[in-house]
Amino acid sequence: MNNKVTFGRWETITVLLNSMGIPILLGFPRGMVELGGTAGWLICIYITVLALALFYIISRLYKPFEGMDPLDLGERIAGNAGRIIVGLIFFTHSTFIVSMILREFGEDMKVIALTVSPISFVQLFFITGMIVGAYKGIEAVVRMHSVVVVLISAGVLILVIFVMPFFKFGNIYPILGNGPEKIFGTGFFRVSSFSALIIIYMVFPFIKSHEQFRTAGFWGIGLTGFFMTLVTLTFIGVLPYPISLEQFLPVYQLSRIINVGRFFERIESVFMLLWASAALLYLSFAFIIILRIFQKAFKLPYYRPLILPFAVILFTLSLLPPNVMTALNLEAIFFRSYAWLTTFLFMIILLITARFVSKKEKGRIKT
Amino acid sequence: MVNYIKNLKSLIFFEEPEKIEEFILKESNDEGKAEIKEAQKDSDRTPELKKRDRSIIKKPMSAASGNDSGEEQGENKEKDSNNKHQPSAVKPRENISTSVEENLRYMKDIFTVPDNGDIVIREFEITFKGKPVKAFIILIDGMTDRTVINSNILHPLMILSDKDFKTGEDDIGEFVKSRLLPHNQMKVTEKYQEVIDEINFGGCGLFVDGSKVAFAADVKGWLARGIERPNTELVLRGPQEGFNEILRANTALVRKILKDEDLIVENAKVGKRSKTPCSILYIKDIANESLVEEVKRRVNSIKLDYIIDSGHLEQLLEDDPYMLAPQIIATERPDRVAAALTDGKIAIIMHGSPFALVLPTTNNDLIHAAEDSYIRFPYANLLRCVRILGVFMSLLLPGLYVAITNYHQEMIPTDLLLAIVSAREKVPFPTVVEILIMEVAFELIREAGIRIPGPIGPTLGIIGALILGQAAVAANIVSPILIIIVAVTGIGSFAIPNFSLAYAFRILRFAYILLGASAGFLGITTGLFLQGVWLTAAKSFGVPFMAPFAPKTSGGFSDEFLRPPFWKQETRPDYVNPRDTRKQPKISRVWTQNNSEGDANE
Repeated sequence: MNNKVTFGRWETITVLLNSMGIPILLGFPRGMVELGGTAGWLICIYITVLALALFYIISRLYKPFEGMDPLDLGERIAGNAGRIIVGLIFFTHSTFIVSMILREFGEDMKVIALTVSPISFVQLFFITGMIVGAYKGIEAVVRMHSVVVVLISAGVLILVIFVMPFFKFGNIYPILGNGPEKIFGTGFFRVSSFSALIIIYMVFPFIKSHEQFRTAGFWGIGLTGFFMTLVTLTFIGVLPYPISLEQFLPVYQLSRIINVGRFFERIESVFMLLWASAALLYLSFAFIIILRIFQKAFKLPYYRPLILPFAVILFTLSLLPPNVMTALNLEAIFFRSYAWLTTFLFMIILLITARFVSKKEKGRIKT
Repeated sequence: MVNYIKNLKSLIFFEEPEKIEEFILKESNDEGKAEIKEAQKDSDRTPELKKRDRSIIKKPMSAASGNDSGEEQGENKEKDSNNKHQPSAVKPRENISTSVEENLRYMKDIFTVPDNGDIVIREFEITFKGKPVKAFIILIDGMTDRTVINSNILHPLMILSDKDFKTGEDDIGEFVKSRLLPHNQMKVTEKYQEVIDEINFGGCGLFVDGSKVAFAADVKGWLARGIERPNTELVLRGPQEGFNEILRANTALVRKILKDEDLIVENAKVGKRSKTPCSILYIKDIANESLVEEVKRRVNSIKLDYIIDSGHLEQLLEDDPYMLAPQIIATERPDRVAAALTDGKIAIIMHGSPFALVLPTTNNDLIHAAEDSYIRFPYANLLRCVRILGVFMSLLLPGLYVAITNYHQEMIPTDLLLAIVSAREKVPFPTVVEILIMEVAFELIREAGIRIPGPIGPTLGIIGALILGQAAVAANIVSPILIIIVAVTGIGSFAIPNFSLAYAFRILRFAYILLGASAGFLGITTGLFLQGVWLTAAKSFGVPFMAPFAPKTSGGFSDEFLRPPFWKQETRPDYVNPRDTRKQPKISRVWTQNNSEGDANE
């Protein structure tokens, strides 16, 4: 990748926070409640600790490979074939997630405000953002993150503060919800919620040092875990368990409850600005990553010619599910069961193999 | 139009980009060292160090001597006489002839005399070693000071040359220069072109028979506007002087404020034909050297025939001509230029323009006013907040109104909603059409108000706004609330201190209205995202346009967005990578320390 551009620590953290925190604005809190009942917030803490532990292992394994992304590692292991295989795995993973999230955000906007507009029209706005973001480059989008993510985070905190009067401690009992087996057993797979962590692997060539990679990763996971726990806990505390299971858009439902005096009774639309900003930032950045993975996998000199065709492909893929529930199920199943395989397991295997190959090469050079 | 189609095409079809190395503002070699140097006060600096610093100043280059043969000049005589009145056909000659007739003929050809009515040629004789010698002066009427020419040039040459000088030179040129001409700014040259350039710029050319050099006296004396109050950047507190159209007067205004020998005023000329003089101003031990070089490179590489105003120069220098926001600040306030120079920025002043260009510029600079640093910091911060509110209102208010009334009605409190609905009951148009009608009417009133001469302008504005608005409401074309929205938007745009930025927002406002009408808050957010990405990707002379926020640099919020107390403004903006980062020591109000020590002793 183009090493001319470098990201600072703050920029990397904000990119990670937005990318990994996107599910919070979608159905994540409801998913936690479905799994753990009133203990959904405990699952958030659990998966955050798990993600931190797994990232710790990955960052240790990554130490000898400073500035290399997974595709470089694949190339080191098995040459061009290795690079292409790794590239295609990450490309498929990212394309699937981005197309599903694109659809979900489109559907959310349709439900919230644009009820009579066709979904393809709503998605056009996101696609336009993705295309322009990709044309303007990774540097511009990352810098946008460093400013806007602060505002989005502040918006989420304000939301939580404003719904606090409706918080009832009785709603979070029983503390262990559906039981320890659900929380710590099935809950393990929910570490997939941090699947956007692959972004930090892909942007490692832009990060100045391994130290910065490690710090940004830990801060990113930590802050995302904090917001996941906070929002889920608020969701559970404000809406009773049976009602919370029914909510299509948990955070939107929370914002609808806000009532500040007689003049500000329905300000949920204001939060729409923040959600749309978060979505545009995430989608444009993830789109650039997809383009760069493809570019690098096939050693293309430029990624700009890919922007329009790939935007059309993503747009089409996102429209494939016949209805919103199918899209939600696809995304939920993927996040519940498989995303962690690419983000953590595959990455650990890749790094161990790369270390093994490197040691072997060193040994060969010595002899 | 062709360009737009080309741009549209480039969006769809890929073209391999040209390999142009983009200018990146690198950190100065001296940056960071300033902290260490701070301990060494100016007085402690060694003479060697000072000498080294001063060696950076460019020395004026001496004119290279040519060696045109007399034969060639003789040949030119014939050709020149044939090509009379066809200036383009006059073969340019390099070196001045020793024959005054030949010089006179050539100058007449060059200036198309007698067709050119304002060219004055005065022939006379001077006495050299007791013999009369032919000479002539050439100047452009109206551009020169007659009194100076009479008293400092003609009088000594015609009257004083007759005196009996005891020690005389053999060379007539040397004699004229050292004995006869008391004028202070006198250029001696062997080149025709240098004399011609001086005459074009209000100088007086002097040719003497037998001399291989000519003289060009700086006798500029055209009528010019005096130093007046700036028209576009008025302040309640602070200097009330503004630039005028005279280059040297403008550079002197800046020098008068800074009083620093490290302030460099480098000369440059823009325009192949107009040769408009410009000055590049910077403080040599503060401004980043690569930035200075880049500015000089851009200015010197401009190729065009004529340049009239610094507005032209701005358009030729900016990084992204298609970006709506200005990337260079144009100011008519010398104090603002001086303040920018002390921050490590660079200014360009152009002859004939009362606006100096300050660069590099960031988004933040555009919402700062000159007054901000003269008033106490709480007031300045209040004004900045009000201005930012004005920016948002100017840009987004009509779009938000359309979005809310079309898509997010639940946001409007019930009583207000009822009021809006009842007011709109008889209006036949949808909100978006209604607001577009009013915005277009407002833009028309504004444009007409500027174009109409003298006192009618403001009257038209008031009458237009009052009567048109009132009539539109009475005719049920628009609702009363819309008049409020459009009026508040207008007021917001007037609060933007930079008029170029206000233009940009006037254009963008229409885009936000359409976006708000098509998808409510989603449309507005998409617009903000696109604008944000565009601005974040932009650079002004290698400095990211959204600095110090994106990318974040030190002191971004406290020093740039808000204004700290004056004594706390210790460092220069980090994003311009100045050679000396510190503006004032940690404790600039030393008396506070003395007092506290005194108190402690007590």
